[in-house]
Amino acid sequence: MTIVRDERPVSVREPREVPHPEGLAVSVRSLTKIYRHPWTLKATTGLRDVTFDVRRGEIFGYLGPNGAGKTTTLKILTGLLKPTRGEARLLGRDIRLVESRQDLGFLPEQPYFYDYLTGPETLEMVARLSGLGAREARAAAVEWFGRVGLGDRPRLVLRKYSKGMLQRLGLAASMVHSPKLLILDEPMSGLDPFGRRDVRDLILEQRERGVTVMLSSHILPDVEALCDRVAIVMRGALERVATVGELLQGGAPRIEVRLAGEPVIEWPARFANALQRTSTGGDTALTLHDASLQQELLAWLIERRIVVHSVTPLRTSLEDLFMAAAKDAAITAASTRRSA
Amino acid sequence: MNVLLIAHNTFREAVRDRVLAGILIAGLVLLGLTRVGSALAMGEDLRLTIDMGLTVISLLGVLVILMVGASLVAKEIERRTVFNLLSRPLPRPVYLIGKWAGLSGALAVVSVVLGASLAGIVSLLGHPGYVPAIAQATTLAILELALLTSLAVLFSALSTPVLSALYTLGFFLAGQWVDDLRTFAANLPAGLRELLRVLADVLPNLPLFNMRSLAAAGEPTSALHLGLAAGYALLYSGCVLALAAAAFESRDFK
Repeated sequence: MTIVRDERPVSVREPREVPHPEGLAVSVRSLTKIYRHPWTLKATTGLRDVTFDVRRGEIFGYLGPNGAGKTTTLKILTGLLKPTRGEARLLGRDIRLVESRQDLGFLPEQPYFYDYLTGPETLEMVARLSGLGAREARAAAVEWFGRVGLGDRPRLVLRKYSKGMLQRLGLAASMVHSPKLLILDEPMSGLDPFGRRDVRDLILEQRERGVTVMLSSHILPDVEALCDRVAIVMRGALERVATVGELLQGGAPRIEVRLAGEPVIEWPARFANALQRTSTGGDTALTLHDASLQQELLAWLIERRIVVHSVTPLRTSLEDLFMAAAKDAAITAASTRRSA
Repeated sequence: MNVLLIAHNTFREAVRDRVLAGILIAGLVLLGLTRVGSALAMGEDLRLTIDMGLTVISLLGVLVILMVGASLVAKEIERRTVFNLLSRPLPRPVYLIGKWAGLSGALAVVSVVLGASLAGIVSLLGHPGYVPAIAQATTLAILELALLTSLAVLFSALSTPVLSALYTLGFFLAGQWVDDLRTFAANLPAGLRELLRVLADVLPNLPLFNMRSLAAAGEPTSALHLGLAAGYALLYSGCVLALAAAAFESRDFK
């Protein structure tokens, strides 16, 4: 787990009074986590005043770079960390109550199991801990062991499992008791492309069943393909919550213009600032960052008899937006430090 | 019954990691060796066999507690296997009690097998009359080990495996001397006397579980002694586990 160092004095302000509306799968209000060094008592902020909701039945992506506070949030929600301030509810139940985890399935960032158990034994034990009866748990364990593609080696003890196999078992362990809410920390981590596809299918299948999924991931194309809404967390604070569509529409459109050969061009000032030039395989690719200049640029190129091979509007990816948000957050933090 | 689930799994861990098998084999070998040593004990061979046999049961149990019990919870935190358990509707105190019950159960099985073996040796030597006293002494050893396991769980929930082994060993050694501590305190100035008396009350009263000399003489102890020892072990373990639960409840798992 990674944390963000915060040099500012720790505030003792009470959390804002924001109600928890009914019918939410997850509601988080002013959640704050401050770690204190056991000897020096120096405070380090892992999470600062985070508030967001996850609606029932949606797939909610929780994104951020390393150390942003993703794992801290997920561990607070699942009872592994205690919040310094703020509150949260899972399916309407306060996270301070053990019952809040009754209908929860959780996959930690790296799932760890007892290495002396076999896969089915592990699944049976965790299913029973989540409230299933002995017979029911045994049947569910066998079923899920097969569903995650491990069914051919039921007698293998976990110390002989590969990282990918453990990840698959972790997914099965999070779903074996048919939870209503799944919290998955980096579910694609350690999986090959086939494994990632299987996990994507599994998550979509759970959504079809009405299960709410909250997941954190570094693999942004997967998040883009899966999630209904996305929250971006940076340096322990929530930057933005929006649908994937809203986020992508918000990005500035760009145009790629491909030219034949590598012509020597002296750009006028109005294009020079909006263009980025790269050479690939004997051709030239121009990326125009201001789409309003597209017609003017094309006319200018044709006038000079420069051969244009193609004109392609570039789609803004979640990765681009994510990188832009990270850059903005870094600039804001730097200016805050300077003004302090 | 999540306590039983955790206890069963802790027991299963001890069996599959071959801790129990190793300790049982070591115990049986040592019981055999007591016969070799007793041959040199001119006329006291039976007494020596029983005394040394019961000591083997207790000390091997303490060794298991130091090796396994002291890392019982700390190892799970270090290896993060605890994430998979505590992110489920499992109250933390239930988890701790389950760990304690599982290891205490495993130690009880080892003690019963070794105690029965000792009783078998003594019967084969033609002294079946000593068996009831051996059974009682084994029962007291099981209670003593359960109490020490609760201390190991407490320290293991709060510190590293090495430190919790050292603390547990410290309590085991100090617990052997509580009667002497009280006697010693009686001769000290008032303030210090009270301090040592409180310390003697806080430390586990382990002489209560020691009837090796009685058993070696073939004399059974009273039902009252057994009842008192069982009550004390349960009460002491309960208090220690309550303390462990209170400390563990607010612990963060990073």
